[in-house]
Amino acid sequence: MKETNKNCSDVINHICENLGEDNNSPNCIALKEHLNNCPNCQSYLKSLKLTINLYKNYNVKVTDSMHNKLVEILELTDCR
Amino acid sequence: MEEEKLIEEAKNGDRTALSQLVKRYEQTVYNFAFKVCRDKDKAENTMQETFLSMVKSLNQFSGKSKLSTWLYTVVSNHCLMQARSNARFKFASLDDEDTGINESEIVDWDIAPDKLTENEELKKHLDNAIQNLNPEYRIVFLLRDIEDLSTEETAKITGLSIAAVKSRLHRARAFLRNELNEYVKNERN
Repeated sequence: MKETNKNCSDVINHICENLGEDNNSPNCIALKEHLNNCPNCQSYLKSLKLTINLYKNYNVKVTDSMHNKLVEILELTDCR
Repeated sequence: MEEEKLIEEAKNGDRTALSQLVKRYEQTVYNFAFKVCRDKDKAENTMQETFLSMVKSLNQFSGKSKLSTWLYTVVSNHCLMQARSNARFKFASLDDEDTGINESEIVDWDIAPDKLTENEELKKHLDNAIQNLNPEYRIVFLLRDIEDLSTEETAKITGLSIAAVKSRLHRARAFLRNELNEYVKNERN
C-alpha cells in the first residue's frame, strides 16, 4: 500500500496507535495529506474529539454533607 | 503548602496536614470514582475507602510517584474489584473487535460539550455507553483522555504494558464513539 493511499480505517488506526510519532515521518506526512482531503476522516476525528470532550465535561461535585461524612469517618472533625 | 511538605508532616502525625491532603484530593478522587463506577453512592463509598487506605498506608508512601497517581491506583483497583464481583453483567468484548470504520455510518456531529449539563438525555446516553464498556478499558480511557495522564503513568497505574495501554485506548475511544454515534444519528432524524 502506498503511504499516500491510505483508507480511513488505516488513518485512524495509525493515529491512535502511534501517538507521539515524529510529525515529519513519512507516515505522518501521508496521514496529514489524507486528512486534509478526506471529509469522512475529518468527521470521524471530530466525533472522537467530541466523545472525549463530552466525558470531560460530565463532572460531579463533592457536597458539604459528603465532605463532612468523610471527615467524620477519618476522625478528622477537629481539623476542619 | 507544597504537597511534599504536607505529606511529610502528615506522616509525622500532623492531622491538620492530613486533613489538608484530604481536602486537596477529595474532589479529584470522587469525580474519578464516579466516572469509573457511574453511580454516586458507589463513588462516595470508593472515595471513603480510598482515603481510609491513604490514612492507613501513608507511612509506606515513598514519594517516588505523585500522591495523585497512588490515589488513582487505589480507586482503579477498588472499582475493578467491584466490577469483577458483579459477574452477572456481561460487557462487550473488545479484545478481537474490529475497530475499523464503516464509512457509511459517518455523520457530522453537532453537539456542544459545554451545554451538557442542560441535556439529561445525552447524559443518560453517555452513562449507558461507558457502562457497556469493559471496566479494564474504561479505566484506561478515563486516565489517558479524561484525567490527561501520560501513557507511562496509565501503564503504571493499571499494570499494563505501554502497547496494551495504547491498544485499549484506541478500542475504548472507538467503542464509545460508535455507541454515541447511534444517539447522534437518531437525533438528526
